[in-house]
Amino acid sequence: MSKKGLEELSEQGQSSRRRFLFWLSSALLAGSGLISAVSNLVFMRPRATYGQPSRFAIGRPAEFPVGTRISMNVEKVCVVREEAGLAAISIKCTHLGCTVGVSETGFACPCHGSRFDQDGNVIGGPAPQALPWYKLTLAPNGDLEVDKSVTIEQGTYFGV
Amino acid sequence: MRLALAVASIIVFVVHVVVFYDQFFHRWERHQTAYFEQARTQATNDAEAEELARRGPQIEQIIVTQFGESQVDRCVTCHIAVDDPRFTEHFHPLKTHPYSESLGDLQVEGRWERRHKFSDFGCTICHDGQGRGLEEHYSHGDDHYWPMPLLGYVVHENWNENYKDKLLGTDYMQVKCAQCHTDEGFAGTPHVSRGRELFFKKSCYGCHRIEGLSESTLGPDLTEIGKEFSLEYLWESIDEPRANLATSFMPKFNMTDDEVKSLVIFLKSRRGKNYTETQLDLYRARLEVGDEQDVAEGDAALAEAEDPVAVGERLISERACTACHKLDSVDGKVAPDLSFEGLVRSNDWLMQHFINPRTVVSDSIMPTFRWDHSDFEAMTAYLESRTEAPQVADAAASYREFCARCHGEQGAGDGPIMLYLDPAPRDLTKASFMNSKPMERFKESIRYGVAGTSMPPWEKVLDEQQIDDLLEYVFATFVDQPRRELRERSIPENNPVAMGPESVARGESTYLLRCTGCHGLKADGKGPNSPDIVPRPRNLRNSHFINSVSDRRLLESILYGVQGTAMPPWIDYGLSQNDVGDLLNYIRSLNKGRE
Repeated sequence: MSKKGLEELSEQGQSSRRRFLFWLSSALLAGSGLISAVSNLVFMRPRATYGQPSRFAIGRPAEFPVGTRISMNVEKVCVVREEAGLAAISIKCTHLGCTVGVSETGFACPCHGSRFDQDGNVIGGPAPQALPWYKLTLAPNGDLEVDKSVTIEQGTYFGV
Repeated sequence: MRLALAVASIIVFVVHVVVFYDQFFHRWERHQTAYFEQARTQATNDAEAEELARRGPQIEQIIVTQFGESQVDRCVTCHIAVDDPRFTEHFHPLKTHPYSESLGDLQVEGRWERRHKFSDFGCTICHDGQGRGLEEHYSHGDDHYWPMPLLGYVVHENWNENYKDKLLGTDYMQVKCAQCHTDEGFAGTPHVSRGRELFFKKSCYGCHRIEGLSESTLGPDLTEIGKEFSLEYLWESIDEPRANLATSFMPKFNMTDDEVKSLVIFLKSRRGKNYTETQLDLYRARLEVGDEQDVAEGDAALAEAEDPVAVGERLISERACTACHKLDSVDGKVAPDLSFEGLVRSNDWLMQHFINPRTVVSDSIMPTFRWDHSDFEAMTAYLESRTEAPQVADAAASYREFCARCHGEQGAGDGPIMLYLDPAPRDLTKASFMNSKPMERFKESIRYGVAGTSMPPWEKVLDEQQIDDLLEYVFATFVDQPRRELRERSIPENNPVAMGPESVARGESTYLLRCTGCHGLKADGKGPNSPDIVPRPRNLRNSHFINSVSDRRLLESILYGVQGTAMPPWIDYGLSQNDVGDLLNYIRSLNKGRE
């Protein structure tokens, strides 16, 4: 092979190595950018907040005899026990979020006078929606658990 | 260049991947996934299985608001099965928290019901540790110097090998029980109750303050000690008081391991305020209880035995006097020997000293114990009953027996308890001092003691001949220069200047000008130069001492200085005999009418 041929070959090798390094760097930097973009998007939503947890235990079913309507002001639910079973109804007003009180006819909001019937349906005032019902489950240790992240259809009682 | 860029981009990529993995793949997620899978296989109905299938890994937390500051416990993120009774046989972290009747848990219809529900109490209320941590290292508190790791479960690597094993076990959790169950003698916290008893029985309260329990300020305040120090530090401080502070004069109490453990648990439970009561409530309650207890103890002691000597003996051994003092063969190595105390000191002196040590020895470090008057009388009676003077063969033996404890084996004023005496024992090897004072003065100091100091009168123990022999021994053994003839000085026997307000005022202005550098503005011997001077400048407000010393001696000390000490001859610095007379009147006026 001539001297010129050798030079050409080495030039070719050099340029293909350069191309390889260029593509490698680009791919890795793009990958890094992608990973950071994904992380940043995930971090937008907090993993834990300092509010009360959405799942919480409220005690044994036996603690709630038929006819009970107990408001839990910290957790903002009203535990209702009817013949049909148990239910957990939100006591956070759907209007502006005040804590509604349990009244004879159902619930009444002290802030703007919204009124709800015993199932949480709006019967007066500015509230736009009925009070949501939350899912109840029985934990393995025998305690009732309310899960505020899941709303269920009005009138579905949890049978005991 | 391209190669460098490629290498750099590899590094950047690797760092990104590592950070991404670290932030989004957690051990707790694996624990939770494992729990959900196992729980699903054990589910009894479809609804439960469906519910479990719906739940994905997430940070679980209990927020407790009923105990003061709201507290966030994320322990259940890993320990997700704590309240699931099917997991009793599993390993940590997927293990059911044990049920125990001693914690108040009840079995109702075959099912356990917890007295302390996790939703109400969280975890760190009982266990300590860091509730917010999501990694074992942080949440269990393996962190090297953190004072509150999981109680009785985590020992730090840097903890002393001798104590590590003793600091493990569920007993230590009584510390946290006692934060709410503050009633004395609560059945669930026997170690705390015993520790509290020991705090009084071993006279800890004589030096340490715990709000509502004791008021002394000699040692560190222990009101919030549990927050500040780890179990290991507390144990070490009791077992070996000088381990952390070389100058500590806290005695070693030689307690059994079990006693130390109770005290450590009691101290660790001192955190200033507890969860159930306000600080003020606690303070009032304890003050009242404390008063009743003292009186009751005194009465009981009298009723139990008629003989005050026997009662005194019991009290002295019970209240750990020998933790500091020496009595026969037991020696605390902090305070003077009590073996002949009844012989050398008078009944009145002992009583006054018990009631408040500083009324007779101005700078004594002995705590003022608030015991019943009858207790003090019994203890005095016991000390007074020990009237037998020890038999010593010769002067060397009597020096060892009576003097060496303060003045030191070699007479250098550095005996084992020297650090705790104020004024310090005289250095008998200092020839310039020893040879500048008349023999009669040394004899008097031995015979009658030095008032206001720890030097007791030995006249009832040593006869004249023995005192002479002792002095001869001291001069022959410790003073390495021959005694010279003392120079005659013309010093009036009594103060040449009459006492009066003008004289005192003149004396005061001279004092402020010349003397405060060493003797201090308060004339308490603690002037700015005093730390550098040995022996320390005299406390001029030590009334017992000042009132016992003649005018002539004070005049001589001021005019001609005290050889072997930092006191200069003021006659060389322009003070006349009358100036010194004014000064003397000023010093006397400070101590007038005080005994």
